[in-house]
Amino acid sequence: MTETILFYVFAVLAVIFAIGVVAFRNPVTSAMNMALCFAATAGILFGLGAQFLGIVQIIVYAGAILVLFLFVVMMLDLKNEETPNFIANLCGVVVAAIFAAMVTSVAIHLPGACTCCEGDQPALAAQDDTPVLGGALPELKPEAAAQVMQHVTGQEQPAMNSIPDTKLLGIALFSKYSIAFTILSFGLLAGAVGAVALSRKLRKD
Amino acid sequence: MITLAHYLILSGILFAIGLAGVLIRKNIIVVFMCLEMMLSAANVALVAFSRAQGTHGLPVYDGQVMALFVVGIAAAEVAIGLALIVCMFRARRTVESTALNTMKD
Repeated sequence: MTETILFYVFAVLAVIFAIGVVAFRNPVTSAMNMALCFAATAGILFGLGAQFLGIVQIIVYAGAILVLFLFVVMMLDLKNEETPNFIANLCGVVVAAIFAAMVTSVAIHLPGACTCCEGDQPALAAQDDTPVLGGALPELKPEAAAQVMQHVTGQEQPAMNSIPDTKLLGIALFSKYSIAFTILSFGLLAGAVGAVALSRKLRKD
Repeated sequence: MITLAHYLILSGILFAIGLAGVLIRKNIIVVFMCLEMMLSAANVALVAFSRAQGTHGLPVYDGQVMALFVVGIAAAEVAIGLALIVCMFRARRTVESTALNTMKD
């Protein structure tokens, strides 16, 4: 019950602050709304049991990226933009609404999720490999995590009362995805070098 | 009861708001903020699927690893993009996207 209430609180907050980013004319206000939107999104991730990603969301998005945005906004001498014309606004809102409606209709008709259209159910039941995505999210079992940890480390694990999310994510990241992780770090290095190269002043000689 | 569909709809709504911002706003910095919001909305969907596809009581960590990569790419993209915006401001003294019309005039 608490999870349900918290989900709705954070979801409503995230949507309100996201609208604030688009609606406010002042870029600094938009940036502050963006930070609060990311904090609410981090709350949603905590609710999904992804504690590490929630923390990363707060540190990287609401911390590092926001500070970069604020530096640039305050470094440049910006004027409040004038009100754009009504037709352009309407086009943007209509395109976004169509997209949201598409995603919603797909989400409502996920395999196994549909209680309104009973006719589809026998066809789905015939295919055993169709994943069932409807209903409540599967329970997390700390015993299973203890087994995985024991398999990896080869040592007896003490009893856990919650999933060690960061350890398991690290096991996946540094075993199965170690090459992708290395490539990502080269990408970050290229980004840092590129930012310096782009923003330095060119000398005439 | 919160199902996968709830998380997907929330992610879709956040992505749509970001999309509307990209289409509506003229200030390139705010357009860039909306792009970041779209990436973080995609993260919510990835983590929700990683949890919902979980077997034997554990989430599938492939989805969370991909979400972590999205965060890393977003950080690199912001560094490059803001440097480009600073360059544009030096050249044009404005960050309005309507000022980028050299090929039209």
